[in-house]
Amino acid sequence: MNINKRIIHLLIVVCVMFLSLITYLLYFNMFKSEELATNPYNMRQWENELDIKRGNIYDRNGTLLAESVMDEQSGVHLRRYPYRNLYSHIIGYTSSVYGKTQLEKKYDRQLLAKDGISLSFEPIKKGYDLRLTLDHNLQSYAHDQLSGKNGAIVALDPNTGEMLACVSYPDFDPTSEVLESEWNNIVETESSPLLARATQGLYPPGSTYKIVTAAAAYENDLENEEFNDTGKFEEKGITVENYGKQAHGKIDLPRAFAVSSNFAFCTLGYEMGPDVMLEISERFGINKPLTDFDIETSTSSIDGRSLNNADAALIAMGQGKLLTTPLQMAMITSAVANDGVMMKPYIVSKVTSSSGVAVETHSPQILYRPIEAGCANYVQGLMEEVVESGSGTSAQISGIKVAGKTGTSENEKEKDHAWFVGYAPADNPQIAVAVILENDGSSGGTAAAPIARNVIKKYLSD
Amino acid sequence: MFKKVNFKVPAYLLLLMNILGFLFMYFNNGSDRRILYVGGGLMGLMVVIYALIIILHMGEKFLILIANMLVTIGVLELCRIDITKFGMTQIVWIALGGAAFFAAYVVYYNIRFWNKLWYLYLGGGCILFLLTLVFGNTVGGARNWLSIGGFTFQPSEITKILYIMFLACYFSGSWHHDLFGRINPKYVTALGTYLFIGFLVLQRDWGTVLVLFILYVMMLYAYEDKPWFMLFNIAMTAVVGLLGYKFMYHIQVRVHSWLNPWADISNTGYQIAQSLFAIASGGYFGAGLGNGSVKYIPEVHSDFIFSAVCEEMGVFGGTAIILLYLLLIYRCFKITYNAKNPYNKAVGLGLTLILAIQMFIIIGGVTKFIPLTGITLPFVSYGGTSIVVSFAMLGIMQAISKQEERAEETEAEIESEGDAL
Repeated sequence: MNINKRIIHLLIVVCVMFLSLITYLLYFNMFKSEELATNPYNMRQWENELDIKRGNIYDRNGTLLAESVMDEQSGVHLRRYPYRNLYSHIIGYTSSVYGKTQLEKKYDRQLLAKDGISLSFEPIKKGYDLRLTLDHNLQSYAHDQLSGKNGAIVALDPNTGEMLACVSYPDFDPTSEVLESEWNNIVETESSPLLARATQGLYPPGSTYKIVTAAAAYENDLENEEFNDTGKFEEKGITVENYGKQAHGKIDLPRAFAVSSNFAFCTLGYEMGPDVMLEISERFGINKPLTDFDIETSTSSIDGRSLNNADAALIAMGQGKLLTTPLQMAMITSAVANDGVMMKPYIVSKVTSSSGVAVETHSPQILYRPIEAGCANYVQGLMEEVVESGSGTSAQISGIKVAGKTGTSENEKEKDHAWFVGYAPADNPQIAVAVILENDGSSGGTAAAPIARNVIKKYLSD
Repeated sequence: MFKKVNFKVPAYLLLLMNILGFLFMYFNNGSDRRILYVGGGLMGLMVVIYALIIILHMGEKFLILIANMLVTIGVLELCRIDITKFGMTQIVWIALGGAAFFAAYVVYYNIRFWNKLWYLYLGGGCILFLLTLVFGNTVGGARNWLSIGGFTFQPSEITKILYIMFLACYFSGSWHHDLFGRINPKYVTALGTYLFIGFLVLQRDWGTVLVLFILYVMMLYAYEDKPWFMLFNIAMTAVVGLLGYKFMYHIQVRVHSWLNPWADISNTGYQIAQSLFAIASGGYFGAGLGNGSVKYIPEVHSDFIFSAVCEEMGVFGGTAIILLYLLLIYRCFKITYNAKNPYNKAVGLGLTLILAIQMFIIIGGVTKFIPLTGITLPFVSYGGTSIVVSFAMLGIMQAISKQEERAEETEAEIESEGDAL
């Protein structure tokens, strides 16, 4: 036995131990430290804030949405949100007990100007301000349009990806004193006001998803297919009825889209099969997390394990194993409106120092190119027809051509969700909107389409 | 071959680090003169220790330099935490440590029958343990402090050296007579090991339990021809460990707070969570000495000093500490490797491994790499016993290097005389 040989082995073991420590330390710092630095139990983050005045947040027109004011009595900065609940799901809150969320969390470093070298000689350092893409007038109008119903509205500029309005209801008052005293109440409310439905709520998109199926049909040269709609699609153990159990008779694809025939679209989905449906869905961003977005989002998804043709038929009409966020549906609508180019959505357009110098500017970026322009133009025509003479006529605006798609999605236990997605003006799209009313019970055409119309009208008239 | 290296350069680097570090602290902390006294005192001690090693030709020159670098980082951080309570007293401990270094060197170097005294180490260890159990004070859940005439120390630190000497008696092959004509010393060693570990379990000093066990297994690996006995020990310990996990609340809490400290952050997960917050807020280069919020870290002067260093000197600062240890341990391995005397070799290996294991367990613990068990970070943490014992260990290492160097020289002389004839 050679002891020195064994000693060398032990030396190697020790080296491996030490190097693994170093690797772990670097890994920890790279991937875990940011999360820990903003953990509400980490007292350090509150220490900084005593001598830094957190930056303000403004909408696109300069309306003040959040500011910090010095409380003379206690000598600390208090965060104030002039519009209270209205931005609770976008700006979020900042509380020494419950931490930070949404923009207050994501832009914490900038709001506290942590990376900046202070040239100010004032005793209180000022953080950077945020300029948002949101339009306060549209946001508060959209909030009123929901009129206390649970649901969400997302409005995007399809040409740039700027988020114009984003409302989720129910909401809550993010002011820290209110939040801390009401916390248990907020958490225990069954409708979960803390959930940002527009960006984190996952719903079956229902017939609004036929936009994607129609694009797939066009790509697979099925646009001339005709259907003999009996009102009931039956195949391999699934039975799907049309909305209101209507039988539409002999129809072509554009008509099937306009009247939202489940029979026709289940047939298309069944024929094209799961691979085609999954592939085109992923091109539109399903199953792909939206990285680097300004606030947290849930990933819209299709559970892609062992899908069969019956699953594909359900996905084709926006049911089954498919769940999407309202934001995702607004992005899909924007991509069609923008001739097949999906822009990356964003909320913060600029970060500026207190003296007004831009520290960071965000410009439009292309996220995906899900479909060709020809395919997009075809789907645009179908969507115009929906509002012109189909299920979405209540979205019409005099003098402006609107394109859209209604949806009424089923869920297992409760009443149907009412959906509408659309954009306008059809020839030169300026705004794309997704509206969902949770468990509303009525159809997308009667409940959601008028809301979308009003929001679009408000934006285009301002 | 190492004699040709210009050894003066690392020594100057060490001085430079001291001058820069303490001057920076001095200007950053409103010109507190005590910082200069601490810095001056530390540099004086280092110069004296290093000069003595050079002048008296005490063998290996790098060990003490690397250890002093670690000490410097520790003292800088301790001054920043609390200069009166820790910074200034640590200098006294380092002075005592320096004395212990030379004392251990002289005693170990001049006595050549260490390998025959196994019963002394075993008995001495047991007596220290019994004294602690009967008269000891409980600090931080562990009953491992002994107070004699107002002077408190941790006997378990001293038993570490005794244990290594005890192990070396058997592994060096100098103890090969069966005990009472029947029991193989191999089993006496194993029994002794578990006796020590048993005492430590009674004291709830889990960190030292882990250190001694890993040390024993590694020594078995180095010296046992066949792996069976080592594997048997590991298996037995795994069984006992699992039983302990099942029935002992203490162990469960530690494992749970390792797996998910956030579940009970205000109680059991508090320490590790605060430690991780500190490391996370330091980033790569740290907040800067004096700019962090190390006051939130519990036990920051002893077990958690690494977290404080990471917060203020960054992850790179922490990495530097680990690399300094790696260097120190590499030098120790080198001395062990070249040692010809089997007893020296075994003691050297034990000391090398125990330093490495301690450092791994505590740094791994405070970074949540492994479950946290409280032990001090040798040379860096505040603490009389820890500093004195660590320096004494280094003194023994130094003595081994000198003995082996002299043996080599004598050999070479005999050879060259032979050539001349």
